Amino acid sequence: MNNIIDVKNVTFEYTGGERIKTVIRDFDISFARGSFTVILGHNGSGKSTLAKLLNGLYKPAVGDVFVDGINTKDEKNEIEIKRRVGMVFQNPDNQLLASIVEDDVAFGPENLGIEPEKIRERVDNALKTVDMYDYRKKSPHHLSGGQKQRIAIAGIIAMEPECIVLDEPTAMLDPKGRKEIIDTIERLNREKGITIILITHFMEEAQNADRVIVMDNGKIVADDIPANIFKNAEMLKSVGLDVPQTTDLLIRLNNSGLAVDTNAISIEEAAEKIATALHSEGI
Amino acid sequence: MAPILEVKNLTHTYDASTPFRFDAVNDVSFSVEEGEIVGIIGHTGSGKSTLVQHLNGLLKPTSGNILFNGKDIWENPKAIKNIRANIGLVFQYPEYQLFEETVYKDIAFGPQNMGLLGEDLKTRVTETCQLLDIDFDYLEKSPFDLSGGEKRRVAIAGVMAMRPEVIIFDEPIAGLDPMGRKNVIKMIENYRNSFNATVLIISHNMEDMAQIADRLIVMNKGKLAKFDTTENVFSDAKFLSDIGLGVPAVTKIIDLLKSKGFNIEENILTIDDAVEALVKLKNGGNTYA
Repeated sequence: MNNIIDVKNVTFEYTGGERIKTVIRDFDISFARGSFTVILGHNGSGKSTLAKLLNGLYKPAVGDVFVDGINTKDEKNEIEIKRRVGMVFQNPDNQLLASIVEDDVAFGPENLGIEPEKIRERVDNALKTVDMYDYRKKSPHHLSGGQKQRIAIAGIIAMEPECIVLDEPTAMLDPKGRKEIIDTIERLNREKGITIILITHFMEEAQNADRVIVMDNGKIVADDIPANIFKNAEMLKSVGLDVPQTTDLLIRLNNSGLAVDTNAISIEEAAEKIATALHSEGI
Repeated sequence: MAPILEVKNLTHTYDASTPFRFDAVNDVSFSVEEGEIVGIIGHTGSGKSTLVQHLNGLLKPTSGNILFNGKDIWENPKAIKNIRANIGLVFQYPEYQLFEETVYKDIAFGPQNMGLLGEDLKTRVTETCQLLDIDFDYLEKSPFDLSGGEKRRVAIAGVMAMRPEVIIFDEPIAGLDPMGRKNVIKMIENYRNSFNATVLIISHNMEDMAQIADRLIVMNKGKLAKFDTTENVFSDAKFLSDIGLGVPAVTKIIDLLKSKGFNIEENILTIDDAVEALVKLKNGGNTYA
């Protein structure tokens, strides 16, 4: 099987009294093993609900979600699903439980019923992977936001998942913390082959993804490689999003008479394209 | 004229009598002029939130003073409620504090507590909505039916409806989508421009800080590391990166171009600045060739 997750014809509704709010509509999507997908969408577009459907925290009202071929509706397979798909949320403070970093990381594998010696090994490896091994005996409460979030990710890695879903993991972090998390996520994907599904409001975090999905009103409005998504500033703006500041600059330069290739997302690429354009103007 | 807000040698110590004793804010002094927008940046845990919670008397200094219009806000502790009406504080994720049945009641809650009644109250709410571009149709809706970005704007409107002279925001754009970020930034600018209000904003978003702030306070490990114009602060990329911060993406692009030998003199903070400088360069020094 090539896909780790298949979402088939899913509709999901929240009900409160007599009111029904549909947040995911006739949704079909598959995530290939080892892929890195970024999901964009305005507040209220259904991104977080989708995330919670992917590891069985929510069950679809209509349709099915399969994780590694297992239907998330199947209650007796709950552990098998959680073992395969881990979730990381926005606020690191809400995800850390123990008073010592390594106890926190051990919580997941303990719940999976892993043998104690194996847990020791997994916890050490997970902390080394996120570069927090030196902090294993510390209290998580005295760490920075980026460090706390890396501990939360270590707790997920210790369960050895095939896929990690991250719901705005950098929203509350400072620039350094954001970079630490994005670097960690990209490394997990590249070096460990873990499938990454990253939900974010920071357009530039999509620059190294294999695929970007844009959601609006519970549906997919675009599904393509990052370069193609960010070419389409009009579409992004129409759904409350925007292009990254780098791409925005290139588009604006083009409109102001400097013929520059706008196909760049990273800062280095953008500087390169501007340099080329200026050189061809004889500067 | 005295500055509207003055912080003098402020120190705040948490858990003072325990082994966990920790100076979250350490001997910080600065003053803010009426009508300015001052950004506060700093790594997580640098003391930003602790600092601003002193400015309207939510926290009491361990030592040091806060002066509002030249008077110590703790001179008469019983009058601290008046200070809070004049210095508004918008917390992180303020939408979690919405609680009324309708948007109208939520926005009216603050001014009502200040004693505004009847027509005056109604006028205040509608004026606030007009100023902040909040659709009148929203007023009878439940705040819980709004999207995340709309809820945020309603929560901020509730504080602005009290017309504080100074308004302080703790991460007002965190967790918002790009359009939501733009809307909140616009609200803050509108409020400042309409009432010549003084604004302090904590944010991790360097691009938005470059856009909106006149001056920046840089906090590092509880200390005030720098207080200067936004332009000057962002001209020292190395210093910022050493303390876990950064400069806006356009500033980085222009810095790379400078290091490639392009002759750009200006400090670039926004896309507008960058477009202007690059077009000028292309046209051989003239902005409009």
